Amino acid sequence: MNEERREFIKKTSIGFLAGIGVSSGLFLNFLLEKTDASLWSDKNIAGTTRWGMLIDMRKCIDGCQKCVDACRLAHNVPDFGNATHQIAWLQKSPYREVFPTSGEDFAGKERTGKSVPSLCNHCADPPCASACPTQATFKRFDGIVALDYHRCTGCRSCMASCPYGAISFNWKEPRPAIKAINDIYPTREMGVVEKCNFCSERLLKGKLPACVESCPEKTLTFGNLNDPKSEIRLLLEKNQTMQRKPELGTLPSVFYII
Amino acid sequence: MKITKRDIVIGLLVLSALVALRVFWPTAKAEKIASPIAKATPIDSTVCIAPTEYMRSHHMQLLNEWRNTGARDSRPYVTADGKKFQKSLDTCLGCHSSNTYFCISCHQYANAKPTCWNCHLSPLDKP
Ligand code: SF4
Ligand code: SF4
Repeated sequence: MNEERREFIKKTSIGFLAGIGVSSGLFLNFLLEKTDASLWSDKNIAGTTRWGMLIDMRKCIDGCQKCVDACRLAHNVPDFGNATHQIAWLQKSPYREVFPTSGEDFAGKERTGKSVPSLCNHCADPPCASACPTQATFKRFDGIVALDYHRCTGCRSCMASCPYGAISFNWKEPRPAIKAINDIYPTREMGVVEKCNFCSERLLKGKLPACVESCPEKTLTFGNLNDPKSEIRLLLEKNQTMQRKPELGTLPSVFYII
Repeated sequence: MKITKRDIVIGLLVLSALVALRVFWPTAKAEKIASPIAKATPIDSTVCIAPTEYMRSHHMQLLNEWRNTGARDSRPYVTADGKKFQKSLDTCLGCHSSNTYFCISCHQYANAKPTCWNCHLSPLDKP
């Protein structure tokens, strides 16, 4: 028996022993969640659903970052720790940055002093999707403006066309900058953009978006804007709400109560 | 790396100790949760989407189709005999990741370098 053959047999038997380890339950299986096939419809009819969100700033606590952290964890959003490379799907920004054109330049601190959760608005007429040359960014049948990372070439046209700065670019390899890897969602790679997906992977499993679920104050309400009986529609009916930069005609699906 | 007799003996001892621990320690059940989100719930599918022979030779074509259409058309993939699957790499890994080396052992032998793992977490990357 020659040396190489000996080595080969030794290494193979290590693999075999690892197999025994697996079958005895030593190494954990993937912790994957079951997808409920009954939640899918075979026909995705455009127009029946338009997912939207209502953010009630009367309830939001200043300084709380629970929703932001939940989003980071749910989607393996990297944190490079500096503004140049910053990547955010959901972030809290000063009121005047979120609503720069709301005509409240001289409004009192109690109205404009808070930092406001801001995310992709999943616009009904999304300029980002029109700008994308590869159709990596596109509007889904349920109103979610989705991004197919496989198609993204990293040209950043979408970033330039989004009036809300909701899209971030991976200037560096994101994986090392992810604090806690969540093993049920992929990461991205260097050279693609990323943004909020309204937790479409959670909706598929019949769950609410991670930010909505994580908020202890129930600040965020998520629902179908095309269903007149949904909670979000009832709240929109009863309250005075506003959108970000409505004058641009992007028709945001994220609404705010201030 | 050269593997000596000593390495093998130590390795065997450690493995048998771990197996014994796992088998005889009732509380050592799969309670560990990798991340606060991932709860140990049943895995997606218990059957393969196509016969093993076909999957062995054509999985790359099927996965390529899933990759190209999965995000855009979220309707499930329907097999010839009417079973439905989510077009996701996780559908496959739900079963196959129980063997950490399932993908890599062949790919390495065939010198195939799929780009899947640039973003998707391979069984080797999982915590
Ligand atoms: S907020 Fe920006 S990224 Fe989101 S849909 Fe509107 S234009 Fe596109
Ligand atoms: S960066 Fe990617 S998603 Fe954005 S416009 Fe270019 S190809 Fe489309």
